[in-house]
Amino acid sequence: MANGPLRDVRILDLTHVWAGPLATRILADLGAQVVKIEAPMGRGPRFYGGIPIGGFIGREPGEEPYNNNAVFVKLQRNKKSVALDLKTQDGRQVFLKLVSKSDVVIENFSARAMSDLQLDYRYLQKANPRVIHVAMPGYGLTGPYSDRVAFGPTVEPMSGLTQVMGYHEGELRSTAMALPDPVAALHAVSAVLAAIQKRARTGVGELVEMSLHESAVSAHGAWIVEAQLRESRLVPHGNRHPEMAPHGVYSCKGMDEWVAIACRSDEDWYSLCRCIGGELNARLTLAERRSKHDEIDQQITAWSATRPPVEVVHTLQEHRVPAGHVRITPEMTSDPHVQFREFFVPLEKDTPIPGNPVKMEEISSLDWTPCPRLGEHNEKILKNWLDFTDEQISQLKNRNVIVDKPPR
Amino acid sequence: MLAVVEIGGYAAGYCGRLFVQTGNPVTHITVGQPPPIWTSKDAMNVFLHSDKAMLDTQDLNEVKQLADTADIVILEASTADDVEDFGFDDWSCPVKVAITPFGRTGPKRNWQATPSTLLAMGGFTNLMGDPDRAPLTLPGHFVEFQTGGFAYAAALACGLANETNSIDIGMLEVVMSLSQFTTVMWHCADIVRSRHGNDFWSVVPTNLFRCLDGWVYINIVPGFWDPFVAFLELPELVLDERFITNTRRMQNREVLHEITAGVLAKLTRDEIQRRAVDCRIPLGAVLSFNEVLDDIHLASRNMWISRKTPSNQLVSVPRLPWLCHGKFPTDQISES
Repeated sequence: MANGPLRDVRILDLTHVWAGPLATRILADLGAQVVKIEAPMGRGPRFYGGIPIGGFIGREPGEEPYNNNAVFVKLQRNKKSVALDLKTQDGRQVFLKLVSKSDVVIENFSARAMSDLQLDYRYLQKANPRVIHVAMPGYGLTGPYSDRVAFGPTVEPMSGLTQVMGYHEGELRSTAMALPDPVAALHAVSAVLAAIQKRARTGVGELVEMSLHESAVSAHGAWIVEAQLRESRLVPHGNRHPEMAPHGVYSCKGMDEWVAIACRSDEDWYSLCRCIGGELNARLTLAERRSKHDEIDQQITAWSATRPPVEVVHTLQEHRVPAGHVRITPEMTSDPHVQFREFFVPLEKDTPIPGNPVKMEEISSLDWTPCPRLGEHNEKILKNWLDFTDEQISQLKNRNVIVDKPPR
Repeated sequence: MLAVVEIGGYAAGYCGRLFVQTGNPVTHITVGQPPPIWTSKDAMNVFLHSDKAMLDTQDLNEVKQLADTADIVILEASTADDVEDFGFDDWSCPVKVAITPFGRTGPKRNWQATPSTLLAMGGFTNLMGDPDRAPLTLPGHFVEFQTGGFAYAAALACGLANETNSIDIGMLEVVMSLSQFTTVMWHCADIVRSRHGNDFWSVVPTNLFRCLDGWVYINIVPGFWDPFVAFLELPELVLDERFITNTRRMQNREVLHEITAGVLAKLTRDEIQRRAVDCRIPLGAVLSFNEVLDDIHLASRNMWISRKTPSNQLVSVPRLPWLCHGKFPTDQISES
């Protein structure tokens, strides 16, 4: 478990897929004691028929493929695992006992799931009046859409983003990467901490409802206000920007090689002209640069397309012009700057996993623990948190209430 | 309550928004010209800075005085050297956060950046747009706002623990930390994730489709295949060998997209949405921001709060995206 300022905060984590587990990873990175409460089949079947989307950690499925799914593992560092069948009466009782010793329960089930398990806030509160229940249903617990199925990719266009993203108005594009999920993750982290701050004042817990949909909408608040202030519709700018010109993604020497370049000011533009030379007029104003953007783009491309991206970026950065290589993973992990800051952490069978962007004293990846095996901490947590005896634990094991392998 | 001083751009501004809307007093300080934005200044100001105290100054002594008296100070600067130039290390505030594009250490600590160059370096841009065209950058302020979220979490965590700390957050690392499966896909499966337009690619069908009056996005993960064929009203597809597994659907992607497009092209967004609800499949219509403002679900959940712009126009601003016992967090603070 990581060290950090949240070391005294205990979190029961029932989340799955991306937004929820990312939220609890961020909290665990800040030191919170996160116990992942997992369904026996939560990591998939005992044997995989194929290769998961991100492969297997260590590149091999091994004897426990369900413990080596790379996409899953990447999100679970610094957590502990209790594999508990909440659909059994005993499992539910054990869970409520854990709730009595916890600060936060966080889940991203559908709106009805916790009620169906008789584990909604009313039950949690009875077990522990100080507990904070963070629910992350796609569209919230109430309202006309509360029963709808939500995933990041389908919520994204409903937030308004797709309408302003694309090559132009007739060619809208989605990010195709479920962008609302990481946005919701950060909002869920914020909601947890805000609720803990509030509890310090009120002394009681509460039900916090954090919808994926509202999270995505809220993040576009400036555009939503803008839509009310203007008469014309907001449309995609391609790779351009309303207040920066030139602003774009330009081809470089090599196969599918690109750099992003942005001029924030007249000074940046002057410097860019010095780098590129040619016929560019260094005295153009922003308005003039915007009106001549096509022409400027051609000149930049004529320069960049004959140079490798790293050379383009270094030349521009030497002149203090913002520029960045459009990179793929091996280019990110081999970046000397990224390596200097030890951002990727080879915690999981030497696989570099993205680290914690929060750097502060007392937080060190040297303290981190890898993704736990399914049910790895069943006994430890039940003994340390609930004073269960060996006999009680054996009984739970014998009845498959707690497991350390998915059922056959 | 924690007294917060926030200095600089939109990451610090978003962090301050989270603090002020959860009941903590925030002072926003502008020093010099703010970075370029995607909207008008009025729109950004009313969204980010409503309910904050505002100060515009060039006097770093005044900034230090305010920073020294705060519980938390958030400084956003263009480079690591700029952080030092502000005198950040001399401020006596117990919790200090410095936000920069590349962090306060490392060979690129003084490189220049914008959200688009950071998205490029952080692996996002390569995934967006069409395979045979220039990749697309992400419009808006995702990089800054997500960074603001990390700053809020780190600062509040320290504040709650009564710990003194100086925190360094680099925006590039924020972007890289939020990758979906791109990095492990390379390290564990030797696959460079690439861009495919609107197609999510590894789960089929997951794509944008045109309908009679707009566009809808469908995301059919394997468990939703049977409901999806009911949604299409083409039950025979359940037994169609070409589509029997996600792998088979990936192999026959174009045919399946054609079938789906053929059905959806004849329906309106409302008709499609009704079918999606009946069959319980994940689907979302492409909405403009004006349509988002008119959305009945958001209205029923009191998503909007009224605020005045600096030019005195009343507008609807989204509240924080979470509710406490069904209420907006600061309502409860004022009630308590």
